[in-house]
Amino acid sequence: MRIDVSTHDEWLVVVSLAGELDAYTAPQFREKLVEIVESGRAWVITDLTAVEYIDSVGLGILVGTAKRAGQHGGDIAVVCGRANLLRVFDVSGTRELLNVAPSLEEAGRILRDARGDDEKGEA
Amino acid sequence: MPTREDDTVELVIPCDPKYVTVVRLTVAGVAARSGLTVDDIDDLKVAVSEACTNAIDHAFDEAGGQPGPHVHVRLYPKDGEMRIEVEDEGQGFDPRHVKKALEAQEPGQEGGLGLYLIERLTDELRVESAPGSGTKITMTKRVARKS
Repeated sequence: MRIDVSTHDEWLVVVSLAGELDAYTAPQFREKLVEIVESGRAWVITDLTAVEYIDSVGLGILVGTAKRAGQHGGDIAVVCGRANLLRVFDVSGTRELLNVAPSLEEAGRILRDARGDDEKGEA
Repeated sequence: MPTREDDTVELVIPCDPKYVTVVRLTVAGVAARSGLTVDDIDDLKVAVSEACTNAIDHAFDEAGGQPGPHVHVRLYPKDGEMRIEVEDEGQGFDPRHVKKALEAQEPGQEGGLGLYLIERLTDELRVESAPGSGTKITMTKRVARKS
């Protein structure tokens, strides 16, 4: 599995994966996401466009990251358009919780809106 | 070409998650010969992977010592359906715990979704286990995907 990390507009981190996200590959993904969120970068998009397979271990990491990001005042979104992955999100009931979006642009919009709403809420 | 009664395929993998992808690839190849659709095969790949991952997890003894050596996967393809058995050599568990694992899961749950996903993605699921005697998960997928 390949993991690429990039930062956008100083507040948004995009973690792009390629390959299969299962019990074998998940530990390095988890480690990277924990490192990012614990360093205070709590707005994260995980781009799964190039991921061919996900199971409950990968789902668990995404759900855990969403919780961790929330504890740091942020949130996550997931970019995914593959039918087999969307099926797993739907069956597990995690599609809404994880802000699954069809494109990077849409995922960015979701987090931008959430961030703006939070700031308004605090004002 | 129709499948035959003796078209059973058996895999024995080490207790290591890196071999689960081998099971997925084999299941996809054999299931295609049973007439299952691409969507059905995708469901089955997730279900069998969850069973194998559970077997590998359960193979470790309670003290966290050495795992049981192997996971056995048997594929029974027939025209229009495929039955799969995943059996480990681990510690086993009280099967009454299965009911709780199959109950509606919380979307925010980080783990323990394996059996739940298998049940939702296949047409039949049977779990046989007892403390000290390993676990066997049997699942069946038929051509028509259940809703």
